[in-house]
Amino acid sequence: MQIAVLYGTETGNAEMLAEDIASHLSDHDASVTNLSDFDPAGFDAGTFYVVVTSTYGDGELPASAQPFAEAMEAAKPDLSGIRFAIFGMGDSEYPETFNYGGKRLEEILTGAGAERVGERVTHDASGSDMADDLALPWIDEILSTVDA
Amino acid sequence: MHQIAIIGAGPSGCFTAQALAKLLPEARIDIIDALPVPYGLIRYGVAPDHQGTKAVIRQFERLFERQGVGFFGDVRLGETVNLEALQGLYDAVVLATGLSADRRLGVKGDDLPGVLGSGVVTRALNDHPDANPVTISERVVIVGNGNVAVDLVRLLAKGAGEFHGSDLSEAAAVQCGDVRRIDVVGRSPSDAAKFDPVMIRELGRLEQAAIHVHGLSGEGKIVEALQHLEGHAPEGATCEIHFHFGWTPEEIEGATHVTAARFRQGDARMVLPCDTVLTAIGFEGDTPGADAEGFIAPGLYATGWLKRGPRGTIPENRADAQGVAARIAADLATVTPAKPGRDGLLALVPGAVHYEQWQRIDAAERAEAPEGRVRRKIPTIAQMRSIAQQTGES
Repeated sequence: MQIAVLYGTETGNAEMLAEDIASHLSDHDASVTNLSDFDPAGFDAGTFYVVVTSTYGDGELPASAQPFAEAMEAAKPDLSGIRFAIFGMGDSEYPETFNYGGKRLEEILTGAGAERVGERVTHDASGSDMADDLALPWIDEILSTVDA
Repeated sequence: MHQIAIIGAGPSGCFTAQALAKLLPEARIDIIDALPVPYGLIRYGVAPDHQGTKAVIRQFERLFERQGVGFFGDVRLGETVNLEALQGLYDAVVLATGLSADRRLGVKGDDLPGVLGSGVVTRALNDHPDANPVTISERVVIVGNGNVAVDLVRLLAKGAGEFHGSDLSEAAAVQCGDVRRIDVVGRSPSDAAKFDPVMIRELGRLEQAAIHVHGLSGEGKIVEALQHLEGHAPEGATCEIHFHFGWTPEEIEGATHVTAARFRQGDARMVLPCDTVLTAIGFEGDTPGADAEGFIAPGLYATGWLKRGPRGTIPENRADAQGVAARIAADLATVTPAKPGRDGLLALVPGAVHYEQWQRIDAAERAEAPEGRVRRKIPTIAQMRSIAQQTGES
């Protein structure tokens, strides 16, 4: 199964995690793409998407995910048949907007007909866990339920 | 192999190294810092109760741990080593030393005892080894309308129990337990204030401070966030915070120490009696005159605040650092590598503190964290050196 890791980042933390997930999934030859470089017309039903995104500012999408959100809004593609897992990164110092980025991106994708697989998990930058320690078992579990 | 030296291990220096490592995986990159410890403003400027913001350090750790970037700490430019020597050793030298001097108010009395710049206070709150102890009294006026001002408000207004999970200095350097009233005064009207709304909302969770917002005007996210704050009054509040907008500083009053701060708005005057004035109106210093891509002269570049002025948050400086790195990579494409780089620097500064030694300092700081804190920073350069020089598993 082809796997594509897409990330939205502002400070680089989500980019680093996306790269780590891709190297962890090297058996699948996973690609890593910044959402700012990803065209919504490029979604492919034969690919499983792993989306990693932070939250920035006042609960907004991180800068690199914003062009993607705008392109989705403009193109309104039909994503039925597309499956994705989504991992958010947040900071519990800001509880009002904790992981709005992940929530928002999930809404954009499911709103276009894509199917979320597994739970949306959020890493807390103010917590003591490393993002990798949370994300790598999370994606292994999800992939074990996805058809090969 | 190209050899690149970056001077300054703060966020801009580290983000520049990160971008260079991606663009030029064959190059050897060394980051030099005046302190024995890395990460600059992430460690010593980002507020100690914003550990989530400091998490970018995990990216930088990877540079040193997996990507072969070298750390040369305790190497002070102009003292331990000079720029000419570094340019002789490296194909490219990048200045990332930031801007650390507090901009002064520029009004009568701005040099009175009791007037402190935000940088001075922030370094003390963060146990910076060069920080002098500061005393902050009961009545404080903070001049400034940006996030640094909000950091100061929050850190002064929080009670001892509100620093769980932080690495706040244990009052070693800052005497500020008794702040009763904080007036935050900005020159611009409220809708032009430079606070991030999310930082303003965070004040709404203060457990011991009542908040009053005066003179709101206009609309927008910041004004809405400030409106929400108005009337915040936790039970048993021991501190009052007052926000004022549209007031220009006119004079700091006092004979031998601050006694009041005076402001004007048109013909109106506002006099705020106080014992401490904190200025949070930006930073300054000499800049080397780099162009938009960070180029100063062949082989010499600037990045971060030193290049672009003291503006912008971590992500903005990251994006900017990527631009500088792209310029350096393009320039180096025409340079034949022939310089000694790291080997030459190792010979020149045998006493430098390297990454493994920083890890020892880091481990010691974590091991000695007080209850409820994530670390206790080693407060002096001498102690840092001493831990760095320990050998073995001790």
